[in-house]
Amino acid sequence: MAMAETSEAPGIGTDDFGISEREPHQTSESSKRKAIAEFDPNKMRSTKPGIKRLILILSVLFSFLLGLPFLLKSVEIYRAPLPFRAIDSLLNGIESNLVVLPCRFQVVFVGSDDEEFSESRAEKLELLILERMRKLTGSSPVCGSCGNNYTVSVTMESGKDCIRNRNAGNGCLRRCGEIDISAFGGDLKDDEAVDEFLDSVLRSDVDCTDSGGKLYTVVMMNRDEGSRVVVGKHRHAWILGKVEEIEVVSMITNIFVNFFMNGGKKDGSIQPEFMPVGADGRIVLSFSLLNADPHDWVYDWDFQRIDEILLAPVVEALAPISNIRVESQVLYHTPKSSFAQWDEKLASYIFTAKDLPFFVNSNEWHLDTSIAAGGRSKVLQFVVYIPSAKECPLLLRLPNGEMSMTNGFISPMWGGVIVWNSPSCLRDSESKLPAVHALSSQDLHAISEIFMGQIRQLFGLNSDNVQFAGSGISNVLPSQRGFAEWELDVLSRRHTCFNLLSCATTLGSLSRLVQSLPRMIIMDEIGKQVKYSLEAASLAQSNSSLGIYDASAMSSRQARTLAEDAFFHPSIMSISYYSFEHFFAIYTPFFLPVLLHVLLAAIKEWKRYKQERAKYLAWKANAGVES
Amino acid sequence: MLFLRSILFFLLLSHYFFAPIFSGSTEEEEFSEELLLKPLPDRKVLAHFHFDSRAPPSTTHGRHHRIFPKAIAQLVQKFRIREMELSFTQGRWNYERWGGFDPVSSANAKPPGVELWAVFDVPSDQVDSTWKNLTHTLSGLFCASINFLESSTAYASPNWSFRPFSGVLRYGALPREAICTENLTPWLKLLPCRDKAGLSTLMDRPSIYRGFYHSQRLKVISTESGSEDRVELGILLEQTLTVVLQPGELQPSWSLSSIFGRKITGKCVLAKSSTVFIGFERNLISELNDLWKNNEKNWVAETTSGSWNNPVFQLSLSPGRVIEEVNNGHGGNSAILYEFSIENYSDYEPFDVSLTWKRPLFWSPPRAPFHVSRFLMGSGNARGSIAITLKSTELIKGFMGDNVIKDGCKVRIDVFQVVPWYVKVYSHTLQIFVDGEAQIVSEIIEKIWVSPSEDRVSPGLMEMFLRFPCNMKSAVLTIEFDKGLLHIDEYPPDANQGFDIPSAVISFPDFEASMHFLKEHSSESPLLSKFQEKNRVLSYTEILLVPLATPDFSMPYNVITFTCTVFALYFGSMLNVLRRRAGEEERFLKSQASRKVGPLPQLLSKLFGKLRGRPAKASQSLSPSSSILTPKFILKVLLVAGIAVAWHYFSE
Repeated sequence: MAMAETSEAPGIGTDDFGISEREPHQTSESSKRKAIAEFDPNKMRSTKPGIKRLILILSVLFSFLLGLPFLLKSVEIYRAPLPFRAIDSLLNGIESNLVVLPCRFQVVFVGSDDEEFSESRAEKLELLILERMRKLTGSSPVCGSCGNNYTVSVTMESGKDCIRNRNAGNGCLRRCGEIDISAFGGDLKDDEAVDEFLDSVLRSDVDCTDSGGKLYTVVMMNRDEGSRVVVGKHRHAWILGKVEEIEVVSMITNIFVNFFMNGGKKDGSIQPEFMPVGADGRIVLSFSLLNADPHDWVYDWDFQRIDEILLAPVVEALAPISNIRVESQVLYHTPKSSFAQWDEKLASYIFTAKDLPFFVNSNEWHLDTSIAAGGRSKVLQFVVYIPSAKECPLLLRLPNGEMSMTNGFISPMWGGVIVWNSPSCLRDSESKLPAVHALSSQDLHAISEIFMGQIRQLFGLNSDNVQFAGSGISNVLPSQRGFAEWELDVLSRRHTCFNLLSCATTLGSLSRLVQSLPRMIIMDEIGKQVKYSLEAASLAQSNSSLGIYDASAMSSRQARTLAEDAFFHPSIMSISYYSFEHFFAIYTPFFLPVLLHVLLAAIKEWKRYKQERAKYLAWKANAGVES
Repeated sequence: MLFLRSILFFLLLSHYFFAPIFSGSTEEEEFSEELLLKPLPDRKVLAHFHFDSRAPPSTTHGRHHRIFPKAIAQLVQKFRIREMELSFTQGRWNYERWGGFDPVSSANAKPPGVELWAVFDVPSDQVDSTWKNLTHTLSGLFCASINFLESSTAYASPNWSFRPFSGVLRYGALPREAICTENLTPWLKLLPCRDKAGLSTLMDRPSIYRGFYHSQRLKVISTESGSEDRVELGILLEQTLTVVLQPGELQPSWSLSSIFGRKITGKCVLAKSSTVFIGFERNLISELNDLWKNNEKNWVAETTSGSWNNPVFQLSLSPGRVIEEVNNGHGGNSAILYEFSIENYSDYEPFDVSLTWKRPLFWSPPRAPFHVSRFLMGSGNARGSIAITLKSTELIKGFMGDNVIKDGCKVRIDVFQVVPWYVKVYSHTLQIFVDGEAQIVSEIIEKIWVSPSEDRVSPGLMEMFLRFPCNMKSAVLTIEFDKGLLHIDEYPPDANQGFDIPSAVISFPDFEASMHFLKEHSSESPLLSKFQEKNRVLSYTEILLVPLATPDFSMPYNVITFTCTVFALYFGSMLNVLRRRAGEEERFLKSQASRKVGPLPQLLSKLFGKLRGRPAKASQSLSPSSSILTPKFILKVLLVAGIAVAWHYFSE
């Protein structure tokens, strides 16, 4: 019925066509002139065609078209607006130039009275040092360094007199004439004592420590004594002895760039991808003592003591960078998964560096993540492995053929392993059950020192200070807290930089993800987290440009945490977003047939109208001719 | 009378036997492993592993442990757990055949699936959130879907009947959780030796999962938070694995290697004690004593060439000690435990004890006072009722002798039942029948606590203290319920399987299942001191499977498609009616009528035209195409149709 009626118009059309085809045959017999005058209802009409139905159909069609935006609006899913442009600009900004905190360097020449100091000499020295530093740092900044954002000032003093170069006069340098070596009674060769003395002098002006970056000092003491270069625990180093000027300049720039700026790293060492800090700014140091086979011997440790005496200062020192928890466990029946070879010469079992990837036995070493930590904290595993009697003196051979001194290794972002051999390597006795031995306090001390080195390595520093021998540095004082102040500064700079980098990349991937899935629901909370993360990131950037270390570290950590929270929000992880397929499945059963009807009807009505109008016009023309 | 007796009994016993349990506050971390093997009356063997780890309080000994698992210590500290019990069970404990009145069954018979309850030491407004975090942590720790207990519809907070902690206790059960090795492995990881050494080497996965019943349990008791002025014990972790195994097809004799397929190759070196017990229960001993009386031969036998031999059975190894239960008035017979220490066994000389029966022996297990069973009544998807039946096992008579006859004697039974919200229980329909006769409910119920379910918020909880006459043969409790309707997204993937209602707990507070030993025996063994604790006798009922009305899950789409089609049809015809030109059509028909043809072809052509969507051609008689509708053509069509029908008919 419906079809029949809708197809009315074409029906008439073909009808008309057929008749008009026939017409020549009919009219060929009669005269043509008469035919024109004759009124043919199939070809002409005397009335104007009505447009009621056309208007009706068109109004239905247009109301559908007008309703379409409302429909789309009503089925729209909620997507919190994300500041895509701000994210992109942050990402581009941070990737193109890394966040670097400024540093200030100061050279103090303490001369004997007979030496002549002049302003021009100070300026010359400053220029020399700056030039060399530019050459050493290179053009591309790395995370943790000061980039090109540093100043150098040179002070020369002898007695109460002192000369400064021009740009040192920002009032934040210490007063002149305080470094009076003659007042220092102790032996200048006693590094610790000198260090403390210099610290007490240089620390005197507390009020301007943190503005414009940390201040690092090299004190050049011109004495007729043996040459000595020492890097202290705090933010200073000193050079002792008569040294040529060129040599002094190279020494000073070496200390500035390689130590104070880059954390004592030697060239060629691998820059860590990221700091081993969890996304929530926490680290769990999980210490495990692994007795490979308790039938041979069982060792126990007094971890309480390690924790309180050795680890507590480190935890405290690293507090500005991350919140650290310490936990321990003792595990048994945990063999390693690689084989060791017997070496006759050393009378011990040897495992080599290429076995290391298989050393950690993930099947049997149930080290586990921590329940107490939770969230996205980073767990660093530190393992003391006590081999069984079958493989008792177990030693690590380094790739260069030497035996490892620490007998341990690290795996970046995972932790470290130390192999500790039982002193006698002999089973207590065959049948008796083994007694529980405790690790002696010397052993504990040695182990915890290795641990300390491993922690430092995991943070991207040198494991110990022995490695500096030969580079012109006589001594680098180790800190009681495991990290010297200048090292902590490097870590803080690196932490800020990595955090902002990670925040920017996380937000970048989030924005890419969100843009690639146009029908994913985005909760308001995510929008808020992204907003706050961006705010924290910009705060960190502005703080870092001002050189406020702690505040920028804190807000960068916050920015990263919020970015990760937004990215790992449970609503994003769920796949229950409202897909286009679903949308079509629901709306096509109604809209497809209805729209077909409406469109066809509109087309037919329009055709019919045109045809009828042509008829009318024809009639009109005819009438005009007739009249 | 019964109360008086039991109270007196406990006053007496508590002095002697509970002292060692609570004075066990040791200064060292301790671990001990024990295994109890027990022949069951239906020729099966019960193997009950008991691992016990203790950690001294962290206030005095710090947070670092040598043996105690780090995970549990952190769990206790983080969630401030005072007590927690988690069990994974497969199969149902057969109370009729395996006993319901001994410490093993009352503490280790658990409902199928997962059962978790925990008591927290946090303010009552934080208990729920702590429970939710705990369920998530445990599900990660044990590789199980315990996190389903997080939703408030899945757990209940019993008031008094389940355990005596009101307000801070939460109870939840997942009856449908499947248990397998992935749950056992993390559980073993909590043991210092895992299954690398010691008794746990016996846990050969195919053997223990082939058993008839398998229940793996973990109980933590902590006084860490110490809000009460109890003795600081630290943390006590008790891990048990209870399995019921069939030794052989017909032979009731067995050995360790025949039931587990493995032998014990030495103890776990970290264990303080490592002991295997073979336990003979009271009724078995009384059978043996009867035999002895008849045969005039002492069955408590002699050691011949290293084995332990008597006319009835033979143990392949001579036990280190024979521990006899202190008689406490159970008809003069007391259970016997043969103790084997495995200190001196090694790889070269593995421990493998065997028990060989020389003559068939039949005995009945120690049954609970009532046999409990729960089932569903009614049919259809709208309503039904739950019935709990209690059948007396005549134990009370034996227990109390003549007192039963007297009218005053009553026995108390506690019922604890949690039902999901979609089973809407009507408390007023509770009916109680004693020996087939309906009773006045208020006379039987001593105390009742009902917390009605709230749709999609909380489950229904029912706790009842009932008092029945002692001489009752059987009792039935029935309660009616309506089945709720769930949202389409609340159905599980296998909706047609039905919904499980967790087991009800029926406990008998008048009866305490405990065994008593001399102090010198029990002080060394955590298992024996565990047996000495007063465990109230309880039985878990069956899980109920309630079929709910399941919708056709494709229904929303069907509805959408059908309604849309109807709407589209309606809309299309409306549009056509609006567009219709009645006058024109009439004129058209008239012009057609003027060229008359036969009535049938005209009708057909009209119909055909309609079908083809165009009006019948007025010029059909003139045009060559009109030959389509001649009678000849129709005849042809009919012929072809007839052939097709015939072919179809014959080809079938």
